[in-house]
Parts: sequence; C-alpha cells; structure tokens
Amino acid sequence: MRLLRTPQGLIGAIIVALVVVMVIFGPWIAPYSPEGLAPLNRYKPPNALYWLGTDQYGRDILSRLLHGARATVVLAVIATSAATLMGALIGTTSAFLGGRIDEAIMRTIDAVMSVPTLLMALLIVSALGKSGTNAVLAIAIAGTPGMARITRSVALAVRQQDYVNAALARGETAAFVVLREMLPNVVAPIVIEWTIRIAFAVMVFATLSFLGLGAQPPAPEWGLMVSEARKFMHLSLWMILWPSLAIAFVAIGFNLLGDGLRDALNPRT
Amino acid sequence: MADPVLGIRGYGLDYRTPAGAVAALRDIDLAVGAGEVVGLVGESGSGKTSLGLAIMRYLAPNAVETGGSIRLDGADLTGLPPQAIRRIRGRRIGMVFQDPSTSLNPTLTLGEQVVEVLVEHRGLTGAAAASEAEALLGKVGLREPAAMMRRYPHEASGGEKQRVVIAAAFACQPQLVIFDEPTTALDVVTARQILDLFAALQAETGTASLYISHDLAVVSRIAARVAVMHRGRIVEQGPTREVFAQPQHAYTRRLLEAVPRPDRRQSTVEPRAEEPLLELQRLTVSYGRVSLLDSLLRRNRRVTGARDVSLAVRPGEILGIVGESGSGKSTLARALTGLAAFSGSIRLRDRLVTAPRDMGRAYRRDVQIVFQNPDSSLNPRHRIGQILARPLKLFGAGNQGHLGARIAALLEEVQLPADYARRFPHQLSGGEKQRVAIARALAPAPSLLICDEITSSLDVSVQAAVVELLLRLQSRSGASTLFITHDINLVRQIAHRIAVMFRGELVELIGSDELAARGPRHPYTAELIGAVPTVLV
Repeated sequence: MRLLRTPQGLIGAIIVALVVVMVIFGPWIAPYSPEGLAPLNRYKPPNALYWLGTDQYGRDILSRLLHGARATVVLAVIATSAATLMGALIGTTSAFLGGRIDEAIMRTIDAVMSVPTLLMALLIVSALGKSGTNAVLAIAIAGTPGMARITRSVALAVRQQDYVNAALARGETAAFVVLREMLPNVVAPIVIEWTIRIAFAVMVFATLSFLGLGAQPPAPEWGLMVSEARKFMHLSLWMILWPSLAIAFVAIGFNLLGDGLRDALNPRT
Repeated sequence: MADPVLGIRGYGLDYRTPAGAVAALRDIDLAVGAGEVVGLVGESGSGKTSLGLAIMRYLAPNAVETGGSIRLDGADLTGLPPQAIRRIRGRRIGMVFQDPSTSLNPTLTLGEQVVEVLVEHRGLTGAAAASEAEALLGKVGLREPAAMMRRYPHEASGGEKQRVVIAAAFACQPQLVIFDEPTTALDVVTARQILDLFAALQAETGTASLYISHDLAVVSRIAARVAVMHRGRIVEQGPTREVFAQPQHAYTRRLLEAVPRPDRRQSTVEPRAEEPLLELQRLTVSYGRVSLLDSLLRRNRRVTGARDVSLAVRPGEILGIVGESGSGKSTLARALTGLAAFSGSIRLRDRLVTAPRDMGRAYRRDVQIVFQNPDSSLNPRHRIGQILARPLKLFGAGNQGHLGARIAALLEEVQLPADYARRFPHQLSGGEKQRVAIARALAPAPSLLICDEITSSLDVSVQAAVVELLLRLQSRSGASTLFITHDINLVRQIAHRIAVMFRGELVELIGSDELAARGPRHPYTAELIGAVPTVLV
C-alpha cells in the first residue's frame, strides 16, 4: 500500500495497528482483572509478577491499560470523526456559497469557537447528563468550528479553480459541486487535522473524567488513571508514567499516520 | 578575434532528483561578443532559464555541473569562490527577470533598490548614489524620476517596474546583461515599449546581451544571432536572418511553422448564411458586492467588466475576441456561461436569456466553454474517463452505445489514446490536458463553443497543434466558436471576424479579410497590430 512506503506512514500505521489490537483484544490479553484489589501489593514498581507495577489499590497497571484502551481511544476517535465530518461539510459549503451567507456562517462559528473547548464540553455534559455518549457529543460540537475554519480556507482556494467553474457552467447543482468537485480536493489538510485532534480529544476526555463528568472510577480510562495518580506521585512514579506514555504513544501514532495518509491520498506523489 | 564577452564551451548541467539525475543542459557551446545581441529561444523544459541562471551562478542545491566552462572575458566562472562571484554579479553581469512584480522587493522603495546596486558595486554613498539613481531612472524613460524614486513597487505599473529593473541591471555598466523573458508578463503595448527601450540602451551602451525568450517573433527583430534550444541542447545556431529564413534542423522548422502569421490564413469552412445563432444586446457585467455601508452612503464601488456589448454570431462562424488583460473579453465568456451576473440580454436561437438563472439545461448544453489553464480546469482527483463521462451523463445527447465506448470515441477524436481514460490529469502534458478539455466541451455537441485563451499557457508548437485540432473539430461539427485571446496574429489567422475590446467596450468589429485588405478602422486596433511583432524573415 502507498501508505506504507513513507517512513512516517509505516511507523504511524504500525503504532495505530498496535492500538487497534489493544482495543479489540485488550481484555483477553490482560493478565489480571482491572478491578482486582490486592492491597498488600500497592505501589509496586515493575517486577516479574506485575510487569508495569501496581497502583494505589494494588491493581495491575498493565491490565488496566489494556482494558482502558477501549474507553479512551474508541470514544476519542468517534468524537473527532464526528467533528471532522460536520466541520468539513460546513466549511466547504460556506466557501462555495460565499458572500453574505459565508459571512453569517463564519460569524456563528466564531461565536461557538470563542467558548473554550473544556467549558463547552462541561456545559453540554452538565445540561445533558453524565455519560460517555454525551461526552462524545460535547467534544464533537466543541471541535467542529476549528475544523470548519480550516476546511473553509482550503475550500476557498479550491473554489477559484476552473474545474469548479466548469461544473457550474454545466449547470451542476450546488450539492454536486460541493460533494464531488470540492470535497475530494479539500481532504488532505482535513486528514492531518483529524489526527492531531484525536490526541486533543483523548486529553479532553481525561479532563472530563478527572472532573467526574466522563468516566467514573473505578473505570480504567487512561486519563482518569493519570489524574488519580497525581496524588500518589511521591509514592510511585510508575502509576503516572505508564498511562501518560500510553496517551503520548497514541497521539504520536495518529499524527504519523496523518502525515502518511496525506501523502498517500495525494494522487500526484 | 578578441575573446567573446561570454564564452560557454561544452557546458553540461544535471539536476539530482529522487528519480535519478535529470540532464538539464548538455554540450552547450555559445558565445556572445561585445555589443552583440544573441537570442536564446526554446520552449518550456528546453533549459534556457537553467542556462541563464547557471551563467549567473544561481545554481539550485541539487544541481551538478557535468563539465565545460563558462568564461566571462576569458576568466572561467565555474571555478570561482562565492565572494568572487558576488563581486561579479550585478557589476559585470546584470540580469533582468521575467516578472517585475516578483523581482522587486515590495517593502523597499524603487529608489532604494537602484541605490542598493550603486552602493554595493560602485561604492557611491548618500547624495551621490541618489542622484545617480535618479539619472538612471530618467535614462530608462520614466517620467518624473524623482517622484518614482519614492514610490513602492505596488504603486507602479508593470511597465514602469520593468524599467526600474532594467535600470538596476544597467547601473554598473556591466559587460553582459541577461534578459530572461522580460516582456512575457507585460501587456502587448507595454512590451513593445520595453523592447524599444532595450534597443535604445543597446545602441547607446554597446553592452553584450543574451535575450532568452520563447517568442520567435521578438527575437527575430532584436537579435543579431540566435541559438535554438531543445531538451537541453542547442540544436541550431547562427545569424538570425539565416536561421529563420532557412532553418536546417527539423525542430527549428517545426517551431517556425507553429508561429502564428496573419498572412497565412488557415482555411476554414465559411459560416452559414442563416439567422444569427447568438445575439448579445447591450450586455453589461459589473463586479463587486454592494455592502450595506455603500448603499447607505450611495457610493458606487462596482467595477464594470464589460459595458454595453452588442454583437451577433452566425452559425458556423469563428469570431475572434481580442484585447489586453482587463479589456473584458473573459468577462463576456463568464456572462455567457452564467458564471457572472449581467444586465442586458442574450438571445440563443429563439431563447431569450436575461439572467444566469434563466439558463436552462438546453442552454447549458448548447453553450460550452474551454478554459485557459488546463492544470486547473480538470479536477485533479477525477480520472479522465470520469471527467468526460460527466457531460455525457448530464446531457444525454442520445444513447448510442454505452459510456465506455463513447468516451473512447471522444478521446480518439482529439487524438489521444483510449487508455488515457484511466489516467489522472497530472499524468498528462499541458497540451494533452487541453485536448481533454476540448473533448469535454464538445461531448454534448454544442452549437456555441467558447474558447477562453485556450492557448495562452501552452508552448508555441503545442499551441499550433491544439488550434489545428480545434479548427478541424469545429468544421466537422459546425459549431460557432468565440475564440478569445490576446494574440492578434493568431486570431487574424483563424477567425472569420474579429472583435476588439478595450477597457470593457467593444471598439471594433471587422472581418479578417477586410482587416487584411483595408487595415483597421479604430486607432486602438491599429496600435495593437503595430505593437505585436511578427517573425521577420
């Protein structure tokens, strides 16, 4: 596949594949139960029995990571994808329509964007209730304006191209021009932005969990693990290290994948 | 014989790319003597710009010289260290680039940019440099040089900017000046003025000049000797008159054949003497949005693209529309295809259209357009087959045979192989892409074909092939054609009638036979014809 020809694409694909394996098979591979309390084995550093050590209740960190992959990664990807889809459609349509409608849409987007992401997520979750679905919705809505702006600036350049004019001269409908002529050419920056935002989404989920509005303890969600481990840093560094590394690993993997996808999706290279 | 000012012997240049080494220049032997003008002609990809830059030692990071020497007054430039090159550039070799809007620094005044050269190479300072710069600006024909010194590039026109660049190049009285397509980015009348300036400076200073251009007509008028480049090699060299009158090399012959000559009319089928196919009545197109503030203050900020244009086109006629950029010719094309709002009326056969939304499917099928730039008129994400299938599906045009066969037939008509249907646009050359664009426009069998500067971004030889194809298809299909271009020689060669536009207005509408026999009626047309050089043999 073209994706695997560049070093970024290859490494990114490998990392994301690993993450997918963790998501699908995590609970079966995990050696212990994520909720298995073992108070006599608290704060243990990595050893033969517990490969990554234990947390404040003696639960195996490796097992918790493997179980938590689902909670963290899947929801982050769904939220980001929803934001990307909505943002791309809004941005491209706005660029195509131009004029006063474009201005109106963009000012509305600006208004939504002026509310900080976390605050927006909090507002929505508080209004709709605490659950994973609502957290996903909140992050999707908060991420849409940024996507819309990026898409719009690329789509504006695409709008000037003569193939769009050729389509309009043929009398094509607006829907055709936006979906079939403009969107395929706007894809590359969207894909890269998508991968960057997945990393943000993971962190926003973590914050929501920390505030008690996302995943609730004892769920093994990575962000929750990080925030809980802050209190015990002086007792065991490993508790905070492994989930942080896991989040970073996922973020890097998706970013590299994004770079690789951008090159793979470009028919010229 | 004295050493030539510029002597290039056996020079070769490669570019290292991920796909291997690409030979840009091979075995270049060229000499420019004192006071001589040597023309270097070639199409895009021939290596002429690479040669010009190599002489100035502006080598790309991936450029590898494969041997040979470039001697300036006997001294080899290829072996010199960077400091020595810096002392030579600007002082002993000057260069004038193609686009004056990008060769001048937009944040410095024009005066500062000329003074810079004087300070660096002639050691002048302060008032002496300023007055010398002003004298130079006067010498290149700028009115009010003192005021021009204080202006910024965006406050000067293209012609004025190019004069400033020429002043900077000549400031240190260099031994050699290289001109890289200096008039290509200017409109025809201004280009003529720059050429006249060039001739005057040449006669006065006796500087050796290397004039790089793709325009054979220009080179035939100003160069004493000419070298023809093709794919990195010089295929023919010699005195201009001889080379152009009796070309020895096949490529030179092909190039000369392709240059539009108004005296060589290409035979086309005469238009049918019927009711006019298309009638424009007082068509006016204005650009710009009226904002709330403007309407409150009753301010009219709209720019008129075309004003009160009325003309009629007969079936089967080729109407050439000529004008400078900004004359409104492309605006007409946009109004006719509904891309711009207009006032006035368009009558196509018996249908009257007063606004773009009146244009129904039948109108859209009947009026098709081919755009200027083939790189941007084909969607880079669609395959050629997809691009051609769309108008077929949209306009039906009968259902003879299934789609694949019809696409293959279309490609064959424009002389492209049928397997191009699976390719993407970037895998085709410029000329091939333009053929696909023509095929796309002719797919629904329109009765009016609008060609908006379709040859302007193509090389001369490719241009000739595309025009020939267009004429053949047009005579076969009997469609009327609006051929919009700025090249009046081309239009005189192929059109039945010529419409001349100037600043949004139609100033002349004349048959090409009448134009050839009795000359133009409007003074602007006379100026346009006078400004465009034809090949001198």
